This record gives sequence, C-alpha cells and structure tokens, in this order.
Amino acid sequence: MSELEQALLAVGRELEVPEAPDLVPAVLHGIDRPRARPARRRVVVAIALVLVAALAAALASPDARSAFLRILHIGGERIELVEELPPIVPSPPELDIELTLGERVSLGEARRRARYDLLELDRPPDRVYLGPRNTVWFLYGRPDAVRLLVGQTPEVTVDEPFILKKLAGAGTRIETTAVRGAPAYFLSGEPHAVMLLDESGTAYPETARLARDVLVWADRGRTVRLEGELTLAEALELARSLR
Amino acid sequence: MEDRPPSDAALAQRAKDGDERAFEELVRAYQGIAFRTAYLLTGSAAEAEDAAQVGFVKAWAALPRFRAGAEFRPWLLRIVANEAHNRRRSSGRRESLRVRAAAADVSGGAVPSPETTALDREQRRALLGAVSRLDERDRDVLACRYFLELSEVETAEVLGVRRGTVKSRTARALDRLRHEVGS
Repeated sequence: MSELEQALLAVGRELEVPEAPDLVPAVLHGIDRPRARPARRRVVVAIALVLVAALAAALASPDARSAFLRILHIGGERIELVEELPPIVPSPPELDIELTLGERVSLGEARRRARYDLLELDRPPDRVYLGPRNTVWFLYGRPDAVRLLVGQTPEVTVDEPFILKKLAGAGTRIETTAVRGAPAYFLSGEPHAVMLLDESGTAYPETARLARDVLVWADRGRTVRLEGELTLAEALELARSLR
Repeated sequence: MEDRPPSDAALAQRAKDGDERAFEELVRAYQGIAFRTAYLLTGSAAEAEDAAQVGFVKAWAALPRFRAGAEFRPWLLRIVANEAHNRRRSSGRRESLRVRAAAADVSGGAVPSPETTALDREQRRALLGAVSRLDERDRDVLACRYFLELSEVETAEVLGVRRGTVKSRTARALDRLRHEVGS
C-alpha cells in the first residue's frame, strides 16, 4: 500500500462522523406492512410512475423528519404516510402552480409530444402543461384559482420505480376505492406534499407542491390523478368520464 | 457446543421470508456502517439518517430479489448509497467532511499512533480538502476504499460497477489526488 493510501486510511479513521442514531424503531415502523407481492411489484416497477419521497430541498426541513408509518403504492405513485408533514416552502398562496407543472403547451402539442394516448374529458382544459417524465397536466380554471387538475404520467422503465412521491400527514384521509375495476386511492382532508421524480429517483425540486383532494389510480400503463376540491363521488364520476 | 449467532445469510433468508425480527437484527448490525456510508456521501447527519432509514426500508421491500448466497452488507450499502446520492443531488450541495478537531491531540502525552505521527492534522485536512475537490466518481471510490475500508468487491457492489472498474477508477483517483496535493 502506498504512502498516499495509508494517509487516506488515517484520514478516514479520524473523520468527524456524528454518532449513528438508532434507526431500528423508525425502520420497523417503515416495514410494518405486508411486503408487496412479487407479481404486483413487477407491475408497479413496469408502470414506474412514482411519487417518491426523497425530501427535496424545497420541501424538507432537516429536523422535520418523522418515521414512516406506512407506504402505499399505486401505479407509479408512492404514498408515504408520515406522522407529521414537513413544512412546505413556499407556502401555497405564494406558490405559482404553473412553475411546478411544467411548460405550457397547446392541447394539440401535448398530444403530439406526450407520445402516449392522453385520457381526456369531454370539455377541453383551460390550460395544458408538459412536465418532467412526459407528465401532462390539464388545468381547469385559472392558475390562481384551480378548479380541477388532471395529471397523467406514462409507463417508463427506470431504476427508480416510483415517479411521484407523496407525503401525507396525519390530517390526510386516505380511502381505497376503484376506477373501472382498478384499485384507486382518494386522499382528502389536510393537504399532502407531492413531487415528481426523475429516472434515478431524484425529486425535481421545482415540481414540489402541496395538493389537496386527489383521486389516483393506474390506467393502461399510466398513472392518472384528479385533483381539486372534490368529493369522492365527484372524483369517481370525473374519472369514469375520462376517455 | 458454542451457540453461534445466526449468520448474515441466515438472517437475510429469514427476513426474505418475512421475519421482521431477523431483519431487525440486520438493522442493528449494520445501521452504523449504513449511517457512516450515507454521511460520507452527503456530509449531512440529517440527510444521512434519512438515507440510511429509507435504505433499510427499501432493502426490506427488495429482499425478495436478494440472491441466495450473496453478501448482505454490500447489497444493503448499495441501496443506502443510492439513496444518499439522490439526496445529495436533490439538495444540490454537499457539506464538507471534517477531520476530528481533537484528532491530532488524541495522543496528547501518550504514545502517538503511527498514523498520527505520519500525518499531522494540517496534512490530513489538506488531504481531505484535496479529496473533496475531486469529481464525484473519484471521491466516491476513494471514500468506499479508504474511508469505509470496503474491499474492491464490496466497493464494486456498492457503486454498481465491475471490480475491474473499481481498480482502474481507484488508480486514476489516486493519480489525480497526488496531482492535487502536489506530491
């Protein structure tokens, strides 16, 4: 071993590394769910639409971490239920939702550039955005007064199987339901945090934002989300009318 | 007859079969190295704690794909390292690592260790600074080999590259480091 290598070993042994915390309780909380069945997991990986949880700089407060209570998967979304939601910066009133959704495009352009068949409502959206990972957002209403957001992210193959990460706190209610026979989750109550992940699982910080009532499900290789001030019945009715 | 603790392989197999107690033993055994790995990659205690914690949870979920007979430690550290990398990229910054302030004084009065005599504190700081100026690939391979003291095989697993790549990357990183410190 060369002198330089010996010096590196010496440096390594004298690095200032904080004492390792006891991770056991938090990890046991995190795994306190039946493991995803292999077949289902493969489907999730294939769909690869995720809501991932790495707390992006925009979202996280270093000391606001809390133990994972449960992790749910739906399509490419990963929903982590936490005891306490980290503070979100910027707060919703100052947040320009357009910045988090992506490039504003026409509906025709979105159809061309998305490279997958978009599910659409009968009524055309007021605005259309193309975000990371070919995620298309239809906005109904105005950016400062959104009535409905419809988001779709297509199937992709990536290292990180999750495309979207959601963090839901104790005040967020999660109900299981179904859209055309496919399992779905409806999140309501307190807002939850949502962000898009890139192929390596890294959150796009600019996509981090708070979301309110959301119905999310997987439909023919894409993950679809309906977001707005909706009741579950209204959301399901809208979901059924998407084609 | 001596009652030996179960091996990693046995614990991993039991955990793979859904035994949370077995997985808990693995967490206890490896949380230290997992945290240290994440800390060396992120430079942040908070990020390292998160990365290690999420890494363990992801490892639990991934255990059905863990190959029988494979080494558990490098497999786990790879997951933790990926998580740490993601967090480092998300935050867009990396805190500087530091040599313990008291390191040079540890021997104070007692017999100094060979390492301490070979390299005084300023030299160690300079060397650490030079490592931190290397690019990410060089830094990571040196951290695995010399700061975590992983074998080439383990480093290959953790970084997701072939053993030959670890060899060549280490040699190149050491060359660059020599150039950087002017030795």
